[in-house]
Formats: sequence, structure tokens, C-alpha cells
Amino acid sequence: MTRWLVRRIAQALVTLLIVSVLLFFIIRLTPGDPLSRLTGDRPISPAAVAQLKHLYGLDQPLLVQFSAWVRALAHGDLGVSIAQGRDVTTLLAERLPASLLLGGVVLLLNFTVGLAFGVWQAKRHNQLPDRVLGAISLTAYATPSFLLGLLLAGLLSVHWHIFPPCCLRDPLATDDGSLAGALDVLHHLVLPVATLSIVSMAATMRQQRGAMIEALKLDCVRTARAKGLTSGAVTWHAWRNALFPVLTLFGLWLPLLVTGSVFVESVFAWPGLGLLAYDAISGRDYPVLMGTSLLVALVVVLGGFLTDLAYATLDPRVRYR
Amino acid sequence: MPRNLLIAAITGALTCATPSSATAQAVDRAHTIVIVVGALASQPIPTLVHDRWNQDAADLLFLRLARLGPTMMTAGDKGFEPQLAKSWSRRDSLTLIFNLDPRARWHDGQPVTAKDVVFTFGLFRDPKIDPQHALLLRSVASVNAEGEHRVIIRFTHYYPEQLYDATYQVQPLPAHLVDTIPPNLLGSSDFARHPIGNGPFVWDSLAPAEKLTLDASPNYFLGAPAIQRVIFLKASDPDVQVNMLLSGTADAIENVAPVSNIPRFASMPNLRIVQVPSFTIGYLLFNQRDRKDRSKPHPILSDSLVRRALLLGLDRPAMLRSALGAMGAVPYGPVPLISWIRDPDSPPARYDTTQARALLASRGWTDHDGDSVVDRDGKPLELELNVPTTSAVRMQLALETQQFLSHIGVRIILRTSDGPTWNSRRNQHDFDIDASSSGLDPSPSGLMQSWSCLGLDGINVGAACDPRVDSLMERAIAAKGNPRPLWFAAIRRIEEDAPAAFMYSLTNAFVVHRRFEHVNIRPDGWWAALGEWTVNEKR
Repeated sequence: MTRWLVRRIAQALVTLLIVSVLLFFIIRLTPGDPLSRLTGDRPISPAAVAQLKHLYGLDQPLLVQFSAWVRALAHGDLGVSIAQGRDVTTLLAERLPASLLLGGVVLLLNFTVGLAFGVWQAKRHNQLPDRVLGAISLTAYATPSFLLGLLLAGLLSVHWHIFPPCCLRDPLATDDGSLAGALDVLHHLVLPVATLSIVSMAATMRQQRGAMIEALKLDCVRTARAKGLTSGAVTWHAWRNALFPVLTLFGLWLPLLVTGSVFVESVFAWPGLGLLAYDAISGRDYPVLMGTSLLVALVVVLGGFLTDLAYATLDPRVRYR
Repeated sequence: MPRNLLIAAITGALTCATPSSATAQAVDRAHTIVIVVGALASQPIPTLVHDRWNQDAADLLFLRLARLGPTMMTAGDKGFEPQLAKSWSRRDSLTLIFNLDPRARWHDGQPVTAKDVVFTFGLFRDPKIDPQHALLLRSVASVNAEGEHRVIIRFTHYYPEQLYDATYQVQPLPAHLVDTIPPNLLGSSDFARHPIGNGPFVWDSLAPAEKLTLDASPNYFLGAPAIQRVIFLKASDPDVQVNMLLSGTADAIENVAPVSNIPRFASMPNLRIVQVPSFTIGYLLFNQRDRKDRSKPHPILSDSLVRRALLLGLDRPAMLRSALGAMGAVPYGPVPLISWIRDPDSPPARYDTTQARALLASRGWTDHDGDSVVDRDGKPLELELNVPTTSAVRMQLALETQQFLSHIGVRIILRTSDGPTWNSRRNQHDFDIDASSSGLDPSPSGLMQSWSCLGLDGINVGAACDPRVDSLMERAIAAKGNPRPLWFAAIRRIEEDAPAAFMYSLTNAFVVHRRFEHVNIRPDGWWAALGEWTVNEKR
């Protein structure tokens, strides 16, 4: 196991290295002027443009820029945002909590409520509740999240004024750590979470339902029933076997923790990493784009790693050398 | 039962956690204005400002010596309103004397002195620190203090916009706080993170991804603002901005987009639309140099008669109506309707396909092969139009340009891209026609950069170069008498030469909650007059 862990970590580091090199050159070679947002439509003198280019190292050859970026990265420095003039590490640290909150709640709902509904459906395979829930989950799964987000905001915010249409907290509220402040954040969390959860939970439900139906047909489950175990105990045995496809799904969904959803964060002005990445793409803010991309790559690698680890822990047949 | 109670409690708490919750009540809602903006100011320090959002915040924090009056007249010494300077006078044609208002204070309580003004001019005029302002202030010879409250500014030569340059371009900084900071470290200094100004509002806090909060300065020497708190709330998506306003989260949005939303807001009793003429003009810029080799003329567009034909082939008023509704007008030359050099007696050229076709035919462009596209020497008249997808207005105008010019046998190929890519192509001169938009300064002297031979190595990317235009503009800028006739003549020549099809002079639409009264949104700084608005709490 230790050897496997060391090898897996080494693989992850090499993957990250390759990803970062590719990202650097792909991002830099994408057409677009990173100073365009900075200057807007105001005419600006060539001397001022030259000064800005020099300030951000954009007047250097690509390879020189790359070596400077690698040197800085080795010291934990991701550079300075062109659009905001602030350290990228600071920007990432500022945005991470909002994304973790949004992604964390969505994942939690996904892998509790979504799983529970999937199991519940499987136990009622081909009965009316299964069919009704199946139709609902299929509809939810097929609904584009951008449409859902706009619909929810239009109805629940603009029309009925039940939930706020945007933001992490009320603009007039202060972040004082009080209960009212926490409730305010929860209130603002409802619509983005609903938009992301409805679609992703439907996917989890369907996956879990399918896996559970197969698991309920296993010999061991039949034996458990024959031994006279309670329905709950039989379900528990079957569910452990039905968990593996969902584990893979968990690994795939894990990046949601840091990215939220670029679209959902944009539609609800949620100040997370997704919105930061969106703004960075729109403005070709190279350092921020690199920082967010690297973070996502890290979490993707971590997701795969954790999934493998979970397989090894939960399935006695799986052994890593 | 307890489970049901718990669910009911959570649901109730969530739906009750509205803006009127305990935390939010600490702030007086009526006297707070929440303005939705596309981006937040991150460094509203006048020497570091390059974009509008930082400038908007800087305008609330840092006063100028004087500001432009309602006519936006930049020439001469009249029409300006006192700010930090309570009065000004001339010693001679090269020397301006400003008497600072002794009541003016920095937000830390220190008096604003002549030393602050001299120090800030030093920063602005240093090309290593701020090349853009150094260029704009190149005619300032010296800035000196005479005592605590008198500043003497000498110029290298006489020109009508001396007062404008001395006041509009520079917002004094507190020397006692900034003079110890190396200029190259100013952006990362504590001062940049928590600026101390002298304006009607005081820096409170910045949540970089969410909002910027400014509070009214209670001791503001020109009168404490009625609005107690200004919150700039960030939302880059126009749909989100509209939702924020309609749901009551925000009180104001700037530059409503798309304009089709305006009637919706107009029908709401608690909101008012405020139309503000702007210094923004939109135009289809013709590239007069070859795209691949700038030393050669453009094979088609270097011909002024062809450019003129393209201009006449566009029904600009009709195009404008469909793209902007009533929020714009066709300008005469590169002159916004609000500018004092607009010639009221010169109407833009009228749509005339017959004359357009005749002009093209006179240059050998006729439809020889019957494919509805004019051609010459076997080559069709085909041009590529560079347009940013991020501007709905320019996308709409580009589509209509394609349609209108097809009527005179010109094939337009749209080359659409996002903002940064469009800008990159533009700066690399990689276009035949470019759907441009420029936010100009109130001073017409900025036109020299875009439409004269002097700007060929800079922002004059279309390479318009007519020595007679240069001569007229130079004379207008330095005129001892009334410069208007010279400007009119220069603009007339530009219009006749058709370096671009000038499509619109924009009027911006703002939406503001009706409890705010005496609403004054300035064309040269949208929120700069917030300190003068009043609040009607009954609304």
C-alpha cells in the first residue's frame, strides 16, 4: 500500500507538471489582448501600453515568461492579476470559501438525498413511485442548468421575492459572524444550490438506482434474504455493493467543490472561483487563469486519487501494490 | 412532530433572513445607495487608474482643483466649478493661480495644502510613473506653492485648455501619506488598500469579489452628503444586474443593457430612468493601410471615394433605431453630441445608394459578372468586418451593415470574436473594417491621437492621415481666440474624407430608485456628484 501511495503521488505530481506546462502555452497562445479590459474603450498612449506590458512581463518572449512563471511558482507565487493588480494566491484564497460552501452543500445533498432516493427507487423497481421519480429525475437531468438558474431567479427572486437573486450575502449586511449573518448566507445559498443540485442529484439518483437494482439481484443478497435478515439489513448489504459506481461519480464531481459551476456562479453573482475564472477568461487575465486552472487540475487529480483509495478500502477484492 | 417543528423553523429562518434581518438593520437602508457595476474598483488611486470603475471610485474619494460645469466646456477659464480651489486667476497668459479652500481636509483630518498639489503634479508628470498623464500634462512647465493655500502653475505656451489640463487631469493625493511610498510600490501599499482622500465619501471596505463600501464624510467641507453609504455591488452579467434591481437588492444600475429593458423599467413606479449623454462614439473604422504590409496602402479602402460610397450605403439613422432605440444619434464626424465642438449646422451625410453606386462605378467597381457583388479586375469588393461579440449594439450594427452594403454590391464578411481577441486584431491592424467604440475625454484635443498623422504609431489604427486635418486641429488646440471655427473645419474635413462611418453618439440610460432626488449623473464621471443627491425617505 505504501509503495502504491508513493507511486500514485509521484504520478499526480508528474500529471500536474504536464498540465501546467500545457496550460501555460495554451493560454498564452490563445488569441486576445490581456490589457483590453484594463484599458477599456479609452484611448491610451503607446507609452502607457508599453509600461503596462513591461509591468506584467508581457513584453518578454514566451519562454522567458514561462521560466519566470516556473521560478515564481517554485516559491509559491502565482503572480499578480493583470485586471486587479493583486496577488493571485490572495485572490484564490478569497474566493475559495464561497466555492467550497456552494460545492460542499451541493455534494452533500447529492450524496445523501440523491443516494437515498436512488436506493428508495430501486427497492420499488417498476412500481408507480419508481416510475414517477424516474420521470422527474430524467426531466431534471435533461434540464440545462442555465435555463433552470434563470427560471428560478425569475420566479423566486424577481416575481415572488422569496429568495435573493444574487450574491453571498445581503449587500447591507456585515460579515460579523453572527447567527443572523449565517442565516443570511444560507438564504442567499438556496437558489445557486437548487440550480446545481437539481441537475446533479438527478444524475446520482439514476446512477444509484441502476447499481442498486443490480445489487439486489446478487446471490449474496438472495442468501441474506433467505437467512431471514430484516429488510434494512438486506438493503445495507446490497447498498455496499451498489456503492462503487457512485464512488466513481464522486471522484468526477469533486472538482465542483472548487469550481462551483462557472455558469451558476455567474448567473447568481456568487463570488467563488468559477466567477473568478470566468472573469479571467473574459479578460485574458493570464496569471489568474493559470492559478484557477492549476487548482482545478489539482482537485481533479485528488478526486481520482481518493476514488482509488476508497475502492481499496471498501472492496476487499481490490489490492494495490 | 419534533422533526416537523425543526423543518418549519429552518424554513422560517431562511425566508425571514431577508435584508431586514438583524445584521442588515444596522445600516440605514433609505440613506444607502446600492449600485450594481460590472467590476469593482481595486486601486482607486488617481495615478494608478486606467479603467472606469477605479475612476468612478476615485472621483468620490479625491476632488480635483475644479470641475467642469454643466456645459462640459473645456476651453477658456469660464464654465468651471470650484472644488479644492475656491478661486483661480491668471497672472499672465502662461500662469494660473489657484487659491485652495482652507476648509478642505483629508479624511484623516489633515488640511489639504499647496504642498499636496505640487507633490501630486510631480507624480503625474513623471513619464516613468504615469506615461499617460505625463503626455497629457506635457504643456505644464512648473507647479509651485506660494504659502499653504496658493498654487502657481506655469505652462510652456498659451492654449485655451490650460485650466482644463490643470484641473481635470489631476486629483491631488495626500503628500504626508504618499511621499514616503516609492511610486512603483504605491499599488501594493497600505494606502492603495485603504485610500485616504478629501472627497465627499470615505473609504470603508472592499470585499474584492463582492462589493466596495464608501461612507459619507461627515466633515466634508462642501457639505455632508445626504447619502450616508455607497455600496458598489459587483455583477458582470447584465441579466443578473436587471434581476438585482427588479428584486430590490440594488437601487441603481448603470448603462442599461440591452436597451430593450428600458420600457420595462419605465413602467415601474419606484424606478426612474435617467438619460445621460456620453462621450462615447461608435464607428466603423476603415483600415487605410494594407493588413499584411503597413507600408502599402489598403488595396480598396485607401481610396477616399470608396470609403465615402460605403458611408452613403448605410442608412445610419435606421440602423441606429434598431440597435439603440432612442439612446443614440448619428454624429457628424468623431464628435459626441455633448461635445462643445459639435457643429449644429452640419448634418451627417444622408443614405443615398444611387450616389454610392455611382462613386463605386467611378473607381471601376461595377458588377461585371452579374453576381450582385461589384468587382474590379476580376476581384469582388469583399471586406472583412472585425466585431466584438461582447457588444450587442455593435453586433447588431455589423449585421445591418452587411445587409445594407449588399444593396450597393459590397460583400461584408463578419469576423466575430470576444472582446480581447477583437481588441488584439484591432491593435495588430488585422481588419478591413472595425466596429469600434471610443470613450473620449471631454476635451477635443484627444482627437489628435485617433485622427491625425501624429497618432499613426499609436492608437490611430485605421491610419487616417490628412496633413490639412492635422494643421487645423493643431491651430484649434493652440487658438488664441475662439477655437470653434477651426474645430468645425477640421471635423468637416474628417467627415468628407470618411476615415470611418461614424455610427452613433451614445446616450447612456441609468435606472435609479425614486427615493433619490436631485439626481445628477455626470457625463464625465457618472457617480462623481452622488454627494449632492438628496433622499426622500417617504418613497
